[in-house]
Amino acid sequence: MIAITDLQKIYRMGTVEVRALDGVTMEIPKGEFLGIMGASGSGKTTLLHMLGLLDLPTSGRIVIDGTDIAGLTDYEKTMFRLYKLGYVFQDYALVPDLTVLENVSLPAMLRKDRTEEQIQKDSFGILQKIGLYDRRDHLPRELSGGQQQRVSIARAMVNKPDILFADEPCANLDSENSRMVLDLFKEINEDFDQTIVMVSHEDWHKDYFHRIVRLKDGKVVSDGINHQNDHR
Amino acid sequence: MGKKELKVAFLLALRSLQRGSRSSVLLTILIIGMCFTNMIFLPGLFNGIGQSITKQVVDYEIGNVLVSPKTGDQYVNDLEATLDLINGMPGVERATPHFSKGATLKYRQRVLGVSVRAIKPNDEKLVSPLYTKMIAGSYLGDADTGEVIIGKPVAGDASVKAEDEFQSSLGGVRVGDSITIEYGNGYTKDYRVKGIYYTGWSQADSAVYVSYTDMALVDPKAVDNADYITVTTKPGYSEKFVKDELQQYGVSQKVQTTADLLAKSMGRALQSFAIINMVSLIVGIIITTVVLFIVITIKTINSRRQIGILKAIGVDQEVIMHNYGFQVIIMAVLGILFGLVLTLLMAAYLAVHPIVTPEWSATLYLTPWDLILNSLILFAASLVAGYVPAYQVSREDIQSAMRA
Repeated sequence: MIAITDLQKIYRMGTVEVRALDGVTMEIPKGEFLGIMGASGSGKTTLLHMLGLLDLPTSGRIVIDGTDIAGLTDYEKTMFRLYKLGYVFQDYALVPDLTVLENVSLPAMLRKDRTEEQIQKDSFGILQKIGLYDRRDHLPRELSGGQQQRVSIARAMVNKPDILFADEPCANLDSENSRMVLDLFKEINEDFDQTIVMVSHEDWHKDYFHRIVRLKDGKVVSDGINHQNDHR
Repeated sequence: MGKKELKVAFLLALRSLQRGSRSSVLLTILIIGMCFTNMIFLPGLFNGIGQSITKQVVDYEIGNVLVSPKTGDQYVNDLEATLDLINGMPGVERATPHFSKGATLKYRQRVLGVSVRAIKPNDEKLVSPLYTKMIAGSYLGDADTGEVIIGKPVAGDASVKAEDEFQSSLGGVRVGDSITIEYGNGYTKDYRVKGIYYTGWSQADSAVYVSYTDMALVDPKAVDNADYITVTTKPGYSEKFVKDELQQYGVSQKVQTTADLLAKSMGRALQSFAIINMVSLIVGIIITTVVLFIVITIKTINSRRQIGILKAIGVDQEVIMHNYGFQVIIMAVLGILFGLVLTLLMAAYLAVHPIVTPEWSATLYLTPWDLILNSLILFAASLVAGYVPAYQVSREDIQSAMRA
């Protein structure tokens, strides 16, 4: 469960203030596949960065599974991201010098509660799920964009995080690969009751979301259940 | 920082080096290797020169311990008794006297001023390797009179004209030739050249040697006097020990070790060498540090976005810092190994083909301690150069890093 209260983010550029988020308040229950939509500059990526502990809000409060993130040190935030969150980036953000398997295993290798056998089992399992097990020894540059994004999702999923954040994961993909990625998110959400918060500006993506929050100028302008998908 | 974190940092470092820009990695290793060679070559060469000079001074001039006349005396007197006393001391291999006279050599039209050194040839064999340096003819015997051995530069080369000679010579004397020696006291005598030697030590090569028996005929003072006595120590006995023994048990002459004499004669030169070595070392360290600092800074700046992403997926900043630290460690170790190989190859080459001058011949003199110390210094410099930029960039906040 994520609880967001009166979240504000103000960027200061010289004397100019840009209000990227302006009093966002909402709750995201566990197992929800939430879509954050809006035009470019509406504040959706900024919101995702706040929720993913990648940036600090100017004011307001974020509580994730009972933890107020404002009270965490840098190291605690890093560990929080490692143990509880997964993040999928628009441009895949894979480590170019690591193979597919090494990229996927990387977050798991840092967890103190994982043995070598578990890491291998989980990594192989998730690679089989995304259909890239056979390409596990390839480098990211040897894969297509869609395949790289699937690897990025596998990396985000390998630690079985409570919440998965995805920042326009289909922005660089064609419609076929986009659909493949969205199907994968849907499957993960349904199979593991995974909370997914995804930012998108493609209108047809809304078909996958349980709930859609629309932002404009840093404010929530609509927040509605997508009854077509929400069978929870 | 646990084992897992270090393992991940090492994996990231290794993969970055394996799959990143190989030319950049190889160039960095090459630079570190060259810096190591630069740090160690010049001091090693200076040490080699110092060792070469010391060895030649010991071999052909002063031995391990030099017994010279006490202040106010011209000669070491009561020679036989003094020699018996010294040779009876523990730690003394052999003591042998030297008596020199200035003289003029004449051969055909050539005239050359030299120092004629009288030695006891058989005792001299136990003190100096001169007898092994004969390039023509044979070495002197104790009872030889009217025979002389001369240095190769003194003998000269018949094919070189007098005006073209770098060093004046007798113009091509050969074994068996007769030369005339006019001593400073007016005594003139013809000698048969019994042998020609070449030691590589210019002062010995510019001299001629006769036996003490012969010198006694030239100057009766040589019968029981010496300019100085050179003493060789037995293996396992220090020069200082022998010096103390000699002074304690009645040798009333001035007794000095090689170290005493070299400190006086070469002290300034050794100080100069030490300063040059230090400058070379500092320059080498600065070059290595700056190069590695630039390499790692460029690497980290180019990887800022990746660093941001790593932090975003839960990789701690210490892991990221150690990733670059490990890269530097691996490159430094490989660079130092490359430098070691290069240095040892040069040392091997110089051992076979030493740098030869009229005064000395030098090889690269390196001790294991020199190699270890320089490796450690370079390694430490590399760590500083690598970790400083790595620390700076790893502390950057995720948003700034990812926007790069």
